[in-house]
Amino acid sequence: MHPVAIEARSLNKTFITKTGLWKTRTRSTLAVEDISLTIERGELFGLLGPNGAGKTTTVKMLTTLLLPTHGTARILGLDVVQQTAQVRKHIGFAFSGSRGFYNRITATQNLNYFAQLYALDSAITRQRVPQLLELVGLGTRGDDKVETYSSGMVQRLHLARALLHDPEVLFLDEPTVGIDPVGSRELRQTIKNLSSLGKTILLTTHYMAEAEELCHRIAIINKGRIVALDSPEALKRHISGDSVIEACIQPGQVQGILDLLRVLDGRTLVEVKNITEPETVSIRTPEPARVLELLSPYLNPQYIQGLEVRNQTLEDVYVTIIKAGGQ
Amino acid sequence: MKALRWGLIKQQMLVTLRVRALHVLSLGLFVIQPAVFTAVGMLLSHAAGNAMPDLVYTVIGGGIMGLWSGLVFSSTYDITGDRYYGTLELIVGSPTSLTTIEAIRTLINVLTGLFSLGLAFVAALAIFGYSLQGVNFWGAGISLLLLLFSMWCIGVFLANFLAWSRLSGSFVDFLEMPIAFLCGFMYPIRVLPGWLQTLSGVIPIRWALQAMNESLLGNRDLPFLLTHWAMAVGISLVFLAITGWLQARVHDSIRLSGELSSI
Repeated sequence: MHPVAIEARSLNKTFITKTGLWKTRTRSTLAVEDISLTIERGELFGLLGPNGAGKTTTVKMLTTLLLPTHGTARILGLDVVQQTAQVRKHIGFAFSGSRGFYNRITATQNLNYFAQLYALDSAITRQRVPQLLELVGLGTRGDDKVETYSSGMVQRLHLARALLHDPEVLFLDEPTVGIDPVGSRELRQTIKNLSSLGKTILLTTHYMAEAEELCHRIAIINKGRIVALDSPEALKRHISGDSVIEACIQPGQVQGILDLLRVLDGRTLVEVKNITEPETVSIRTPEPARVLELLSPYLNPQYIQGLEVRNQTLEDVYVTIIKAGGQ
Repeated sequence: MKALRWGLIKQQMLVTLRVRALHVLSLGLFVIQPAVFTAVGMLLSHAAGNAMPDLVYTVIGGGIMGLWSGLVFSSTYDITGDRYYGTLELIVGSPTSLTTIEAIRTLINVLTGLFSLGLAFVAALAIFGYSLQGVNFWGAGISLLLLLFSMWCIGVFLANFLAWSRLSGSFVDFLEMPIAFLCGFMYPIRVLPGWLQTLSGVIPIRWALQAMNESLLGNRDLPFLLTHWAMAVGISLVFLAITGWLQARVHDSIRLSGELSSI
């Protein structure tokens, strides 16, 4: 048994587009640059990053759907370029969105079809399809056409499809997008259960709380490069022991408060959030006592309506890293 | 393993029939299109001064047109639809090769296209008074099987191009009429200029169809039929070999360009 589930070395992907009929112009877009990572068996690994950061491209290369321009990747020791067919037997993947199924047939009929693409025995298929539909909360809707499903239901059906052949490695691309809070919570629990069964899971998400709750380790990807990689706790520690002070400030008083904070050195980052009346100013600082001292004369409803001091969340870390354009 | 492959064929048939083929508009295509071609064929025959149109080339020819157009349309729709619905990525990402799926789908498309041909035969017999007297039945039967086989081979070959790029559907659609004209669907191949007859020789459908039409007209010349059948089988196998060679390249090409999805 290969100890490493997913291994990428200097993975690059450049998309080439050509325009023009006679004088063709070639344009290359670097989507993923020099990505290296190692994910152990049984690990639940998160890939975070803004839109267009290269998360889905990375996942598609690891799932054999895209060929890397440079670099190598192995799943359970199998090369994704040279041993494509073997890799596909061991992986399951679910992409976000309401596409990916034949809408004019039922969920059960869709799953029966995809089960055959994975050469599943008919008896196993008959047993597994209702079980999986039950697992993702669609047990009573299996005989309904997919065109009658909400986007959240399709999302859950994607997970059922990805699990059909009981893969050892799962790639879940934004699995809770479009799912209501109750459904999201259930799906997160399902992902935890799958992880506890020993499955290796690579998850991409925009939801920091989700990544913090689920993932053993997280890589933050920006402009095609991994800019941070560690456990959620270590990442939070890594961006120093800063505290976050969030102050609700009366409209019209924000500039005065910002001027007041100018005396602090460059280690303190001040951000005005786009929330209307009262406006929220977020201050990340290594010296919270000093900030509170500066703000204390203004702690009255005319200026500051409320104040909250808290430790950094993963979202704070993420925002700091992405805004800094790297690590 | 055998059972598993039958399972795949069965499931692919069920999906194709449920998603597209058993739709009233698809069935309409198999009826309306041959009827239009038959009408045009009869008008042209009348305009050419024939008192009685040749039913093999007009009515049954219309059915062949329906079969061929149905195959091209269905194959294009299948891949374009898969790209649009995001199912192409899921098929390619499975351990089953896309060519296997295309081979099964093309077979379904050829067999459903038989509906057109069957209707044309019924129309020729019941409406236009086509007589079966003198028909070389065994010759026509073998030729029909080889016609379906050669159409299947060409269909699988074209499916590679359809998978290759988002825009290749228009290229394959563009080939529909030239191949129909070159193969003599609605007229004897001998009316084409010599160089076009030579050009049409690379299409296996042309050989099988010519053998079928001649058999329907009563030709029992065994060397003629054997030559045409051999050409149909031989060239079909060449197309299959090229398809086998192409598939790995197309598979790599679409994964390199990222053309598996519609966006």
